Amino acid sequence: MSLAEAEAQELHLERPSSLSRDALDRFIHNKAAVVGVVVMVLLVLIAIFAPLIAPFGPQEQVGPLDSSNPAGPSAEHWMGLDEQGRDVFSRVVYGARLSLLVGLVSAAFGLSVGLVLGALAGYFGGWVETIIMRLMDIMLAIPALLLAIGLIALLGRGLVQIMIAVGITTIPVFARLLRGSILAQRESDYVLAARSLGVRGRRLLTVHILPNALAPLIVQATLVTATAIIDVAGLSFLGLGPAEPGLPEWGKMLADNATRLDRATHLVIFPGAAIVISVLGLNLIGDGLRESIDPKMRS
Amino acid sequence: MPLLSVRDLAVQFKTRKSTVRAVNGVSFDLDAGETLGIVGESGCGKSVTSLAMLGILPKAGRVTHGEVLFEDVDLLKVPDSQLRQVRGNDIAMIFQDPMTSLNPVLTVGRQITEALRKHMDMNKDEANKEAIALLDRVEIPAAKDRIEDYPHQFSGGMRQRVMIAMAISCHPKILIADEPTTALDVTIQAQILEVLKQLVAEENMALILITHDLGVVAGTCERTNVMYAGRFVESAPTPKLFAKPRHPYTLGLLKSVPRLDAARKEKLQPIGGTPLSMTSEIEGCAFAPRCIYATEESRTKTPELRRIDSDDHLVACWNPVQEEDMPRIEIVAARDEGVAG
Repeated sequence: MSLAEAEAQELHLERPSSLSRDALDRFIHNKAAVVGVVVMVLLVLIAIFAPLIAPFGPQEQVGPLDSSNPAGPSAEHWMGLDEQGRDVFSRVVYGARLSLLVGLVSAAFGLSVGLVLGALAGYFGGWVETIIMRLMDIMLAIPALLLAIGLIALLGRGLVQIMIAVGITTIPVFARLLRGSILAQRESDYVLAARSLGVRGRRLLTVHILPNALAPLIVQATLVTATAIIDVAGLSFLGLGPAEPGLPEWGKMLADNATRLDRATHLVIFPGAAIVISVLGLNLIGDGLRESIDPKMRS
Repeated sequence: MPLLSVRDLAVQFKTRKSTVRAVNGVSFDLDAGETLGIVGESGCGKSVTSLAMLGILPKAGRVTHGEVLFEDVDLLKVPDSQLRQVRGNDIAMIFQDPMTSLNPVLTVGRQITEALRKHMDMNKDEANKEAIALLDRVEIPAAKDRIEDYPHQFSGGMRQRVMIAMAISCHPKILIADEPTTALDVTIQAQILEVLKQLVAEENMALILITHDLGVVAGTCERTNVMYAGRFVESAPTPKLFAKPRHPYTLGLLKSVPRLDAARKEKLQPIGGTPLSMTSEIEGCAFAPRCIYATEESRTKTPELRRIDSDDHLVACWNPVQEEDMPRIEIVAARDEGVAG
């Protein structure tokens, strides 16, 4: 047996685990992150099986149409009734569908557009980069919520419009993050090595650079999903949410009942709590991912 | 006719404030199967020369002058699409740091087969088989099981073997090894050089070995060029260079290497001073400010490589080192055999 063989056999005994396995390992041992995953899994299950969980329909009138003094929580209606006599618990459960969908779609929209722009800027550089990045700077200079309000004014009210508006405000974050990440990878040795083997342009970008540059974006996407949920709730609260009356969206439920805060606290507390829980869950996952993926935080 | 002929190559890097003249007119020939060492200190332009030949300089770098004739085609003038066929296929390169030169998210098998499928038109199965054979050739044990592994699952020496396997995968005519052993510890260095030497001989590849380590060229290269401030200052068959260095810089390099056979009290003699800043046009010999042999001529006129002693010994110096100052280092015979093999 040659020296090299002996060396490798020794290595073989304690072969290190793979990159993704390492990351998964760190993630699982992060208690906060696991809590976040459990919370989000529960919320997603609730959203999927809403018709089975909710005792009533979200628009179904089950109590008196008493707008001045809706009944509080009881054994029959866990979260009480609202001013139209609808079961709040059922509405919060159905609301999970809308709110999570809005958050995810907004973030996905921002991510995909930001990904393309960031990749173009980072890979090509020059005037392409200048134009894209200055555009991103301009977008960042406008407060996100104001930008979203302006966009809704332009696009009109509605579920799709609000997702696009919030999605657009998240583009610059993704674009900048990916550009920086690509710039760092572009000068790395393995890219030079690939080029010395004759690998070119698009293949170099998609096979070699992008997969190495994506990690920070995954983290950012979870965090952005959380802010998107808050933004949508905020826009709904400002009266810029989906126009359909009675739509069980958490932010809209808050907005509709803000004036009854003194008489019927339960109308605001439960949807509010739902928002807090889902955002907290996403943030916990995001932080956990950051810690497990980011090579700088590896011990 | 030489396989590769570099003529008067010059490379500059433009930064906002200044222009760095990294390579200032480098010329050399390389025959098929020849092993050439390029030696010099950090920043003297060794790596830039090789990157320029392959057209993969960093963005700020530009070839300002010269030609690189490979099989009579000037690589600096052909379109990029044609140059890509040369890269990896005819001329391949190994880099200094095996820890960062492999893509961390692709399996080593995937990275080796990439070149095979691109240049050799192999399908997936053929390429896989060939990749395993290549890993066998660079003496990675259990190659079949390791092909699906990721780079971080290999040690430094093993990764450099993978890099070598990638580089030789398409049977290049020239292999450029840029400091291939610098990032490795000494025992592994010897193994890697051994693998390199063996493969170069088997494939009848020409080898350009770039290093700052005189010990590495001593055992590996037939001919050695010494580089200083972007120029070759001396070129000679390796044994001759070690025995009779004629350029004061070469002499300085040899004297600053610790030797096992030296008397214990003998001190190392470092070269005084620091290299010139390469941002300004250099007048006279670039080494003159650090050179005890410098004459008035050295400070005003730039010396060209010219024949000295014999036809195969070139030196660029107005006042070459004289007989009585030479260190007369003889390369150990065992290593010489390796050169011949």
